[in-house]
Amino acid sequence: MSAMRVDTKVVMLGKESVGKTSLVERYVHHRFLVGPYQNTIGAAFVAKPIQVGDKVVTLGIWDTAGSERYEAMSRIYYRGARAAVVCYDLTDSSSFQRARFWVKELQNCEEHCKIYLCGTKNDLVQADRGLRQIDFHDAQDFAEEIGAQLYETSSKTGNNVDELFQRIAEEYSDSAFQYMSNEAGVDLSQKKDSYFYSCCHNN
Amino acid sequence: MEGDVRNKARASWDMGSLPPVECLRIERSDSPTPDLVEGTEPGAGQQAAMFVHSRSVEDLPAEADEDAESRVEPQPVADGDPGSSETFGTSENGLQVEENIIEVAQAPKESSWAESRTKEEDICSDGWRSHRKHVFVLSEAGKPIYSRYGTEEALSSTMGVMMALVSFVEADKNIIRSIHADGYNVVFLSKSPLVLVAVSQTRQSDKEMIRELQYIYYQIVSLLTLTQLNHIFQAKKNYDLRRLLAGSEHLIDNLLRRLDRDPGLLLSAVTCLPLASSSRDAVSASLQAAKAPSLVFSILMKDQYLHHMDLHLVFNLVCSSSSSFREGEGWTPICLPKFNSAGFFHAHISYLEPASELCLILVSTDREEFFSLSDCKQRFLERLRKRNAYQALKEAVKTPSYSVDLVGIPELRHFLYKSKSSGLFTSPELPGVYQSEEGQERLMGLYQELHSRLHHSTRPLLSIYRCGETENFMAWLTSGFELYLCLTPLVTKMQAVSAVNKLLKWIRKEEDRLFILSPLTY
Ligand SMILES: Nc1nc2c(ncn2[C@@H]2O[C@H](COP(=O)(O)OP(=O)(O)OP(=O)(O)O)[C@@H](O)[C@H]2O)c(=O)[nH]1
Ligand SMILES: [Mg+2]
Repeated sequence: MSAMRVDTKVVMLGKESVGKTSLVERYVHHRFLVGPYQNTIGAAFVAKPIQVGDKVVTLGIWDTAGSERYEAMSRIYYRGARAAVVCYDLTDSSSFQRARFWVKELQNCEEHCKIYLCGTKNDLVQADRGLRQIDFHDAQDFAEEIGAQLYETSSKTGNNVDELFQRIAEEYSDSAFQYMSNEAGVDLSQKKDSYFYSCCHNN
Repeated sequence: MEGDVRNKARASWDMGSLPPVECLRIERSDSPTPDLVEGTEPGAGQQAAMFVHSRSVEDLPAEADEDAESRVEPQPVADGDPGSSETFGTSENGLQVEENIIEVAQAPKESSWAESRTKEEDICSDGWRSHRKHVFVLSEAGKPIYSRYGTEEALSSTMGVMMALVSFVEADKNIIRSIHADGYNVVFLSKSPLVLVAVSQTRQSDKEMIRELQYIYYQIVSLLTLTQLNHIFQAKKNYDLRRLLAGSEHLIDNLLRRLDRDPGLLLSAVTCLPLASSSRDAVSASLQAAKAPSLVFSILMKDQYLHHMDLHLVFNLVCSSSSSFREGEGWTPICLPKFNSAGFFHAHISYLEPASELCLILVSTDREEFFSLSDCKQRFLERLRKRNAYQALKEAVKTPSYSVDLVGIPELRHFLYKSKSSGLFTSPELPGVYQSEEGQERLMGLYQELHSRLHHSTRPLLSIYRCGETENFMAWLTSGFELYLCLTPLVTKMQAVSAVNKLLKWIRKEEDRLFILSPLTY
C-alpha cells in the first residue's frame, strides 16, 4: 500500500442513469457491469494515477448521484474541482437539458473548472441510429459556446473513455505547469487538492 | 442546523460514566434466573438501555409500550391450535369498516402499464392481488409516492380510495387504523405529511404491521430529513415526492424484504460478529485511536452504538448499494431520524479492502470532512494490522454465524435471544429445513406471530409454549431478555423448559464472544 497524492479533482455530473458510474468503472477498472442498474447514493470517490508524458498525475474522481435529491448538496462534491465531466445520454433528450443546468451551475460557482461534455451510450446509437436524440452538431455548437470539449463515449465498448480522461489529465498537467511558472507558490485555497491520500487500490 | 446536530450528538454521548466492567460482572448471577434484571442478563451491555433512551417522543404508543416496564404476571399458555390467532388484533384497533377490500384494490382498466419501472406489473392481474403484503405511501393530498408492487400511476385511483377512507374518518377526529375484511388486513399509519398503508394477507397483527410501516416512514425521512419533508409539503401541498425519491425505491423494496427475513428488525435489535473479546477490544481500541474531531460514531460490520432503527437504516443503505462503494469510498448525506430528524449526517462508507467483506462506516457531522475520515480509515487499518487483530477479524467474518449444534441441545433447531439492555441479539445459522426462501419467511412469520403475542398491547404474555405439526416453539419474555426457541416437534413442555435453561447457560458462557459488553463512545 502506498500513500498517494491526489493532484486534481474531477467531478462527474449529469442526470441520473446517464452512465456516470459506468464511465468511472470502465476507466478505473476496465469493466462494464451488466445487471440491474444501481443508483449511486450521495457520491463515491476513487483515486486514479495516470501517466502523462514522463509524469504521473493522480486524478481524484468524484462520481456523484444524479438524483435531484442531492442537488442542494451538490456543491460539496464539485467545489474546487478542476475538471467536470458533464454527462448526458445520447438517447435521452431530457438528459441534455439537465446537462445545460450543470453547465450553468459550474459557470456560476466554479469558474476555474474546465468542462468536458460527454454524450454517453454511443454503442446504442451506433446499433440503431433512430435512438439518437441529441444531434452531434447541436452538442458541438453548445460545447463551443461554453468553451468546452465534446466527447461521445461508450462504457460498454470502452469507446473514447480512456481518451476523455487522458485529455483531462493532460490539460491539467499543462495548466499546472503554467500555473507553477506563473506563481511559483502554493495556493492555500486549494489545499484540499494536494492532499496525501493513502490508497489501497492502485492497479 | 449544523450546530444543532453537534449539540445533540454530544448530549447523547454524555452518559459515559459507568462503573468499571469488573464490578458489574461480579454482580451477575452465574446461572440465569427468570427474574434477571435488565442489565444483568447474558449479553447485557454496560451502557444501559441507551437505545431505549434515544427513542423519540413521536413514536406511536403502540411502539412505545414495547419497552414498558410493567408487565402482566406470568401466565404460560399452552397453545396447541395454530389457528387460534384470529382473536388477536381485530376489535381494539379503531373503527371497523365492513367493506370488501378487494373492491378497493380494483383499479381502472385503461391506465395499466405505462412506466418504465422494472417492477411493472399489471395491477388488474391475479398475480398483483395475490402478493402477501402490499405497501403504499402517499402524501396527505393523496398523491402516490411509493407502491411495493406495480406503478404508482396505475394505482392512483386505489390510492384515491385510501385517501378518502383516511380523510373520511379523520374528519371525525377518529383516525382509522385498520380494516379487516375477507382475509385481508389493511393498516393505516398517518405521519404528517405522509400516509402509509399496508394491505396484508398474513396473520401479522396490526401492531407488527404498524411497526413495519414506521420503518418505511423512517427510511423516507432518512433520505430527506423531516425538516425538508415538512418544508416541501408546506410550500406545495400536492408536490410529487417521487421526483426526490427517484432511484431510492429499491431502498424501500429492500427494507420490506428484510422485514420479512431479518430477525433484527423484528426484535428491534442488531447482532454483532462473534469475536473473542480480546480481538474485539483490539478492534475497538484501533477504532477509537483513529478518530477525528467531527466523528460521531463508527460501525465496523455490525458493531453499534446507535438506535437500532437508525442502524438498520444505515445497513439497508449499505446493503442496497453493494457495488458502488466496493472499491471507492462513498460519501453520502444520511439523516438518522431517531438521532436527529432535522439534519443530515455524512457517512463515509468503505470496504477495508476491495475484496473484503468488511465494511467500515464512519459518520460525521461535517460534510467537509471526507478526507479526514478517509484518513481515519487508513489509520484504523494500519493499527488493526499492527495489533494482528485484522487476521482474527478476517477469520471471524468467514464464519459470521454459528451452528446451533454448538449449543449441544439435540432438539433445538433455532433460536433468537435478545438482551434488552444492550439492544443486541444473537441467533444461530438457519438449519437446513429453513434455508429456502420460503422456509426462512415461514420461520420468521412464526417468530413474528409469537412476538406479537408476547407484546400484545392489551393482553401481553410472558411465555408461550406452542406445539405445531412441523415444529414446537417456546417464547419467553423477562425484564432482561427475550427468547424464542424453535424445537423439533414432539418435544414435551418439560423438555422445552430444560432446553431454555441449558440454552441460557450456554449464552452466558459465550456472552463475551457473542455480545459487545462494553461499547465505546466518542
Ligand atoms: N448500452 C450502454 N448502457 C450503458 C452505458 N453506460 C451506462 N449504461 C447503462 O445505463 C444505466 C445507468 O448507468 P449508471 O452508470 O449507473 O448511471 P449513473 O449516471 O451513475 O446514475 P446515477 O448514479 O443514478 O446518477 C445502467 O443500466 C448501465 O448499464 C453505455 O455506454 N452503453
Ligand atoms: Mg452512478
